[in-house]
Amino acid sequence: MEKKSLWSFGTREVVYAAIGAALYAVLSVATNFLQIPAAANVSIRPAVAIPMFFGLAFGPWVGLISGLVGNVISDLVSGYGFWPWWDLGNGLMGFVPGLIYLQMTDFRALSDIIKAEIMVVVGAAVGMFVASISEIWVSGVDFATSMATNFFPSFISNAINGLILVPILMVAYAAVRGRSGR
Amino acid sequence: MIVSFNYRPRSSLIERLDPRARWIFSILVLFAITMFWDVRFLLFFLALTLGQYLLARLTWRETRRAWYFVFFIMTTMVVVNTLITSSGTIGAVLRGTHTVFFHQFTMPVTGWSWEINLTVERLWFAVTQVVRILSISALFLVIPFTMDPRQYGATFRGMGIPDRLAYTLDLAFRFVPTLGRDFQVTLDAQRARGYEVEKVEGGLLTQIRKMAPLVVPVTMNAILSGEDYANAMDLRCFGLHKRTWIERLAYHWPDYLWIGFGALLLLGSIALSLLGYGKFWVPQILLQ
Repeated sequence: MEKKSLWSFGTREVVYAAIGAALYAVLSVATNFLQIPAAANVSIRPAVAIPMFFGLAFGPWVGLISGLVGNVISDLVSGYGFWPWWDLGNGLMGFVPGLIYLQMTDFRALSDIIKAEIMVVVGAAVGMFVASISEIWVSGVDFATSMATNFFPSFISNAINGLILVPILMVAYAAVRGRSGR
Repeated sequence: MIVSFNYRPRSSLIERLDPRARWIFSILVLFAITMFWDVRFLLFFLALTLGQYLLARLTWRETRRAWYFVFFIMTTMVVVNTLITSSGTIGAVLRGTHTVFFHQFTMPVTGWSWEINLTVERLWFAVTQVVRILSISALFLVIPFTMDPRQYGATFRGMGIPDRLAYTLDLAFRFVPTLGRDFQVTLDAQRARGYEVEKVEGGLLTQIRKMAPLVVPVTMNAILSGEDYANAMDLRCFGLHKRTWIERLAYHWPDYLWIGFGALLLLGSIALSLLGYGKFWVPQILLQ
């Protein structure tokens, strides 16, 4: 599997961005549909690991589109309308980890997993910060309210989901990639 | 079906408009709304967006889940902003001078204190926030129920986004039913092995980790099949020439009228804003 440049967007990226977006949407809606019990009012949305992982595995554009378009489709399916600033925030959660795409050589290696985990936290922070800050413009809330009601709940929940599921996906991907011979 | 779109044809006036015209109108009106903190102007926009909602022939039954979501988010933000953080984005005016309720809490041991100072100005700002958020919500809530998902790729291509990106969007929508079915098959297979997703026990971290038997197989299967899609597309020389789309869109005079109306609203809002109108306003009667 040959890696090209960080910013290329060829056929492979088109396909994986579409798959990432559809997966993110399906898993978001499906896990919501299953009504998985949550602890301490923190909703479990394991699907946020998808754009993060797709960014790491296929590059920043794939991560960005997986998160952005996936959130759009998820809201469409759930009938929640359009929230462009939250779509962008979700896209950034995939884009930021994608910035180390070229450095991800062995998805099973501890060093790569640690790098990925750091980028998952940074990605969740950047993405949710941008989305939360936009509420100041849209809803007229102040910075403290935006942080308390939007940023911290979404950042903590997304970072925890990513920290747990992204390494599992990375190890599984390394095994699948090795067996497929691609 | 575990995942399905909310769209169904309703023969409404809104649906007869070109989807590009509807997107352009929505974006223009969004920017127009965000120029105002005067509830009188915002009520006009609320009436306009609710008018669009009614023209789309949407019912409460269909959209109530979305409205509950909006009400929950809005209430949380407005209550915290009004009662706890007690300021606001439009400056010191929000602190106000006309006190309705004042109470000071003091923490026993530490001696830390926290004041709730509710003024007429802050309460009216909360009302203004509610009207503004509802206007924006009603503007965008109509789209998923009245726009055919098959048209999104062609729509955004028609609005100028690059071919590959528009194709990605189109492809993503087409993958949703397939991956939804894959998820259902995986869920059934795991249940047959004794995995009970509804009874996942343990703390938050354990619960997330236990989602892996569902998330990992669906993701890995999708990635493996992705290689086949990419190869098939490469063999058909994808991306060498400009694409054609099955869904053909054409502007008609009502579409131009709709875009023109949106542009007029935005330009009018900019003009009013420059003239000093639309700033935060409190009815004089409340200040007496």
